[in-house]
Amino acid sequence: MPTRQESIDFILDHYEHPRHRGALADASLVVRGGNPGCGDVLTFYLRLDAGGRVAAVSFEGEGCTISQAAASVMTEKVLGLSLAELTALPQDPLIEELGRDVVSTRIRCATLAVNILKTAEQQQRTAAARGAAPAPEVS
Amino acid sequence: MPVLPQRSLAECRADFPILQREVRPGVPLVYLDSTATAQKPAAVIDAMDRYYRLSNANVHRGIHTLAEEATALYEAARDRVQAFINAGSRKDVIFTRNASESINLVALTWGRRTIKSGDVIVLTEMEHHSNLVPWQMLAAETGARLEFIRVTDQGELDLEQYAQLLRLEPKLVALTHMSNVLGTINPVTEIARQAHAAGAVVLVDGAQSVPHFAVDVQTLGVDFLAFSGHKMCGPTGIGVLWGRPALLEAMPPLLGGGDMIKRVYLREFKVADRPYKFEAGTPAIAEAVGLGAAVDYLQSVGLDAIAAHEQELIAYALERLEEVPGVKVYGPSAAKKGGVAAFTLDGVHPHDVAQVLDRDGIAVRAGHHCAMPLHDRFELPATTRASFYLYNTPAEVDKLVAGLYKVKQLFG
Repeated sequence: MPTRQESIDFILDHYEHPRHRGALADASLVVRGGNPGCGDVLTFYLRLDAGGRVAAVSFEGEGCTISQAAASVMTEKVLGLSLAELTALPQDPLIEELGRDVVSTRIRCATLAVNILKTAEQQQRTAAARGAAPAPEVS
Repeated sequence: MPVLPQRSLAECRADFPILQREVRPGVPLVYLDSTATAQKPAAVIDAMDRYYRLSNANVHRGIHTLAEEATALYEAARDRVQAFINAGSRKDVIFTRNASESINLVALTWGRRTIKSGDVIVLTEMEHHSNLVPWQMLAAETGARLEFIRVTDQGELDLEQYAQLLRLEPKLVALTHMSNVLGTINPVTEIARQAHAAGAVVLVDGAQSVPHFAVDVQTLGVDFLAFSGHKMCGPTGIGVLWGRPALLEAMPPLLGGGDMIKRVYLREFKVADRPYKFEAGTPAIAEAVGLGAAVDYLQSVGLDAIAAHEQELIAYALERLEEVPGVKVYGPSAAKKGGVAAFTLDGVHPHDVAQVLDRDGIAVRAGHHCAMPLHDRFELPATTRASFYLYNTPAEVDKLVAGLYKVKQLFG
């Protein structure tokens, strides 16, 4: 269990030095979402390999420290996963990693990134059905 | 009505049990969120406790002693509210669940009867969602048109533009007495005078005004006033709608059921007189008793004393907040506003500000404060809001400012 200060340092490190931030030019899938209540927004860019697994990932977004840090953390976890595996991603390990004590009053901010990634499979299916890339809001 | 001795504000803090608690061991509570809901003095908690321990029964038409007592307590609360807002008759004081329900009641009865396709309803850009959404719903249903009094960069209503909107001959002007974000106290009497000259009915959302300064419906010159009990030291679950007798008399009931009837037949009913025709079903009796006790409490302190205290606090808070580099407070100068300071801190999300402050026991609110369109107006996703009431102190303002320096250090 990280201490409270370790959790804060971890979150601030990811917030100030986000991993994989920016758009991905050759993304095969773009998934978006946000918490309209707080104005947190996130966009994930996913490139899938021939086997349908995540070969590259990046994100862009705006919002509070926790929502943006959590997105950065998630980009380190999804390489090699299939869309079905993204859908099955649990929330708890991320909450533990960010520090449950720190994010307990901010669960919606902490889980925004993982919840958006969990919709990637659904968003791809909808996009395929419509023949275009939609951008539904996740709240 | 009991005549309580006038109390000094310094004594008041001790009346609120919750203010004695620590948020964490060694960290006292600094409650700066009274605009969301006010804390409750022991007098209110005790009145509700006493009601349930000694007098609980259903109101009206009971013959037994407890039913008589419960009815007397419930109706005495109405009398207290009537006196508090100087309503002409107790029959014009309707108990609802909260200010939102009071506004919805008007929209769904007076509004549905009166508003036709193409009619204009004038609102403002600074409304709480509770004074926007009911009118949006009514407009969608009737084909009415919504127009908005603009908010200036200083956070005040643009009264020149309002004068132009009145040329559209609106049927209704609905506005807040005091903004729950900017703190702006709107010149309601003048706005209502002009609205009436243009033939409009005026509804005022008094959720933020009635708790904080003396509001007299007879001099205010409006047609409907809505407010909530819980923002004025009373319990949640009870609010008030006051309306002009002729308007209330013409309004149909909204909900049907017990208590709102004179006589029921198998296929029809005769509606009760006001206020009961708007109070279907068993009401929030203990909550009304609590609201009555809250009115007594506020009057024992004195609304003018409360307003003066908050005026001092907000003036001091604005002065201290403005000295923090990167802080921007929204809304007019202290003289034109109540005890609300919504602000941003450069480079730090309001939720992060609120969370760091919470570590020091400082309770502020972060978000859109149920006023998304107002935040859109200022191109802000969210603000942090500190708000004050009779029990707050300048020392708490100092703690807030010290907390903000901590936030800046953390997010350096």
